Amino acid sequence: MQNEIRLIVDALPGLVWSALPDGQIDFLNQRWCEYTGLSLEEACGVGWQAAIRPEDLPTLLERWRAILASGESGEMEARLRRFDGEYRWFLFRANPLRDEAGRVVKWCGTNTDIDDRKRAEAQRDRTIEELQAQQSMLSESEQRFRAIFDEAGAGITLVDLRQPGTPIQNNRALRTMLGLGQEELGFFETYDELTAEDDREDDAAAFRELCEGKRDGLRQEKHFILRDGSSVWANVIFTLLRDSAGLPRFIIAIHEDITERKRAVERLQDKQELLELAQKSARAMAFDWHIRREVNVWSPEQEALYGLPPGGFDGTFQSWKKLVYAPDWPVLLKAIKHAHETGEVAVEFRVVWPDGSLHWLATNGQMFFDGQGKPFRMVGFTSDVTPRKLAEEDRRRSEAFLAEAQHLSSTGSFSWRVETDKITWSAQAYHIFELDPTLPVTPELMRTRVHPEDIPLFDEVLDRARAGGGDFEFEHRLLMPDRSIKYLHVLAHGTRGQDGEPEYIGAVQDVTERRLSEEALGNLRSELARVSRVATLGALTASIAHEVNQPLSGIVTNAGTCLRMLAADPPNVDGARETARRTIRDGHRAADVITRLRALFGKKGATSEPVDLNEATREVIALSVSELRRNRVIPRLELADDLPPVTGDRVQLQQVILNLLLNALDAMRVVEDSPTPLVIRTARDADDRVRLSVQDAGVGFDPQAADRLFEAFYTTKNDGMGIGLSVSRSIIESHHGRLWATLNDGPGATFSFSIPHASEAVAERAGGDS
Amino acid sequence: MVMRPLISVVDDDESVRESLPDLLREFGFAAEAFSSAEEFLASDCLGRTRCLVLDVTMPGMSGPDLQRELTRRRQEIPIVFITAHRDEGVRPRLLERGAVECLFKPFSDTALLEALNAALRVSRPTILPGA
Repeated sequence: MQNEIRLIVDALPGLVWSALPDGQIDFLNQRWCEYTGLSLEEACGVGWQAAIRPEDLPTLLERWRAILASGESGEMEARLRRFDGEYRWFLFRANPLRDEAGRVVKWCGTNTDIDDRKRAEAQRDRTIEELQAQQSMLSESEQRFRAIFDEAGAGITLVDLRQPGTPIQNNRALRTMLGLGQEELGFFETYDELTAEDDREDDAAAFRELCEGKRDGLRQEKHFILRDGSSVWANVIFTLLRDSAGLPRFIIAIHEDITERKRAVERLQDKQELLELAQKSARAMAFDWHIRREVNVWSPEQEALYGLPPGGFDGTFQSWKKLVYAPDWPVLLKAIKHAHETGEVAVEFRVVWPDGSLHWLATNGQMFFDGQGKPFRMVGFTSDVTPRKLAEEDRRRSEAFLAEAQHLSSTGSFSWRVETDKITWSAQAYHIFELDPTLPVTPELMRTRVHPEDIPLFDEVLDRARAGGGDFEFEHRLLMPDRSIKYLHVLAHGTRGQDGEPEYIGAVQDVTERRLSEEALGNLRSELARVSRVATLGALTASIAHEVNQPLSGIVTNAGTCLRMLAADPPNVDGARETARRTIRDGHRAADVITRLRALFGKKGATSEPVDLNEATREVIALSVSELRRNRVIPRLELADDLPPVTGDRVQLQQVILNLLLNALDAMRVVEDSPTPLVIRTARDADDRVRLSVQDAGVGFDPQAADRLFEAFYTTKNDGMGIGLSVSRSIIESHHGRLWATLNDGPGATFSFSIPHASEAVAERAGGDS
Repeated sequence: MVMRPLISVVDDDESVRESLPDLLREFGFAAEAFSSAEEFLASDCLGRTRCLVLDVTMPGMSGPDLQRELTRRRQEIPIVFITAHRDEGVRPRLLERGAVECLFKPFSDTALLEALNAALRVSRPTILPGA
C-alpha cells in the first residue's frame, strides 16, 4: 500500500514532498528530484535547501518554522533552482496530517510554479510606481504653477475661451488690486464692470478682437474704478494662446499696478505747470529728462546755452554727452548718481559749443521717482555762469602766481594795521621767518627773530612808521634758532585800509644768498687780483731771469777765463783782452734786457702816447723768447710796413699782446706737432684802424661759448683763472677799440684787436719826439 | 803731442759758445762748440767727445732730446747740463736720467771743472760691446 502510494506520488506531474513533524524533509517525489537535479538522498533532511535561491532562504525557513509551530497549513514563496540552473518562483504549500488525537504526524507539501504570475505582478508594480511618480510630478508642476500664479506680484488672469460665459481664473494679486474676493471675479462681466466707464467700450472692443483671434496680443493702460470708488491704474498685457488647430484657446492677462506712478506724473504735471510759470518769469532755461524713455526735452533757451539753434538737440543721452566738455563728464555722472540718491540736482560743468568755445553751465533741478523708488524724470534749470567761473579761475590763478612768485623770489608780503598792530603775513613770509603759520604775527613775535644787533634799527623804523613816516625801506638781519643769519630787505608802502585806518602794505625779501655771494665775490675778486699779479710776476720773473742769466753766464765765464789767461805763465794777454771785451759786450746785453723791462714796467698809470704796435710786438716777443722756446714755438711775424702808430698806453697794449701770446701757447700746448705755426700779424684796417691778430694752431674754442670767452672768470684751462681776456678786452675798449675771437678754417683760433690809429698830427709829433 | 780729451759744447746762446770753449781750453781740454743738437749729431766729433756740456732749452731738438737720441744710438757720452732757467725741479729729473751734473747759469769755473772731472771719471767706452 505504502509503495503503491509512493508510486502514485512519484508519478504525479506536480512537485510533492513530505516532512516529519519537526520539519525534516523525509520524502520528495521523483518529479521534484528531476526538476531540481538533486537525488532523493541529497535532498532529504536539509539538503533541499541547496535548491533554494540563497537570498530567499532565510524568509522561507522563517515562514516554514512559523507554519510548523502553528500546526496549520500554510504557504511560502521562494525561487527554486531548476536542474539547468534557472530559478523560478514557486508557491510552497504545506498541509499537516494528524492522528486520531489530532497531533501532527506528518506534513505534506506541494510546490507550484508561480513564476509567470510573479513576473506579471512585478511588472504591474513597476507600472503603478511609474504612474504614481508621474502623477506626483504632474501635481508638483501644477502646484508650482499654481503657486506662481497665486503669489505673483503682478495680477494674472486666465480666460478659457472654450468655457461658456468666459469664466476668469485670477490670482490673489489681481483680486487685491481690484479689491475683490475670488468668487466676485469669476466672470469677465465683473472685470468689465470695474473698467472705468469712459474706457469700457473701447477696452471691450479690443478684447473681443483678441477673443476672436484677430490679434495675438494687446497692451492697455487700464483704468479701474473700484467698488469703493477709488481709482486703480494698471498696465495690462494680454496674450492670446491658440490650440494646435490655431483656434483661440486661452487668454493670459498680466496687470502691473501703475497707480503710484500715475499719481506722481499727475503731481509732476502740476509742478511742471509751476515750473513753466517760474521759467517764464525767471527766464531760466529748462530741461525735462524722461529717464525711462530716454528722452530729454529742452527748451529753446536751454538749447541756446549749448550753442544750439532751437530744436538742435535730439533729446538723446548720447547727444548730450557729446555736447559736454569731456573732462567734465565724470563730474556730471557723479551729479546724476547723487541725484539718484537724494533727488537733488546741482552741478557746474563746461560745454563745448559748435564753434569750439567753452562755456560754464550751472544746473539745478529735481529728480522724480516712481512708486518703486526708481527715478524716471529729471527736471531742472540751467544757467550760463561763464563770467563768474572765469573770474574765479582768474582769481585762483593770480593767487597761485603770486604764491609761486613769492616762493621763487624768496619774497613774502605783509600788511600791518598800525592802530591795532595787526600784521598779516603771506605763507612765504612765515617761511622766511621760519614761524608756525598758525601763529598770529605781532611786532613782538618778529623781534624774537631779529638779530640782536639790528633790534635798535628795527624798532626805530617801526616807530617812525607808526608816527606816520610814510613808505620805508631797510635791511636787517635775522638770527635763527640754529644760529644761522638771514639778511632781509624790507620795503613797505603806507596807505589806508577800507576803514580809513593807516596800513602798510609791504614785501620782505630774503637776500641772504645775494649778500653772502656778494661778500664771497668781493673776497674772490681781491684774492684773484692778488693771485693774478703774483702769477703774472712769476711768469715774467722766470722769463726775465732767463734773459738776464744768459749774458750773466757769458760775463762770469769770460771773467773766469780772463783771470786764468792772465795767471798763466806767460800770461795770455791777447786772450785776456778778448775775453774782457766779450765780458763788456755781455754786460751791455744784460743792461739792454733791463732797459726793455723798464720800458714794460717802469711807467705807472695809463698814459697816452703814440705807440708803434710792430715795435711793441717785437719787444713782447723778445721778452717771451724763453717761454716760446720752452714751448718749442717759433712765432712768425707778419708785421705791416706802413703801420701808423696808435695812441694809447704802450705797457697796457703790450700786456694785451703778451696775454694773447700766452693764451695761444697754452692752447697749442695741448696739441702735439702743430702743423701751422703761431702767427702774429699787424695790418692797417679800413676806417682808420690798426689791427693786430694772434693766430694759433691750438684747440680752438667752443663756438657756443664765443661770447663768454671775454667774461671774467670764464676759462677752459685747468690752471687758468679766466681774467686775462676780460682784462685785455677792457684795456682795448679803453683805447676805443675792440677785441674779438674767430675760429680758423684749419685748427686753432685767432684773437684780434683793432684800435683807431693816431691822427696825422699826433703821428708827426711822435716822429719828431723819437 | 798728448791727446787732450774733447769736450763738446752745445748751446744756442752765442755768448756761451764764444766764452765756454776758451775756458775749457784753459782747463786743458780740447773744445768744440755747436749751436744746436742737430749740428752736433751731424759732426765728426760725436765719437771723439768725452763729455758733453749741453744747454737744456734750445729751439728744435732740446738737451734732453739729444740725451735720448744718444742713448738710442748707444753713444753713452757723459753729459753736464747747463740752463738759464733756475727751475729746481729740472735738476733731479736730469740727474735721474743719467746726467752727471746740471749747472744753473751763471756758474763758476770751479763748479764746471768739478763737474767735468766727475764726468771723465765715470767715462766709459764710447761704444758698448755688441753695438
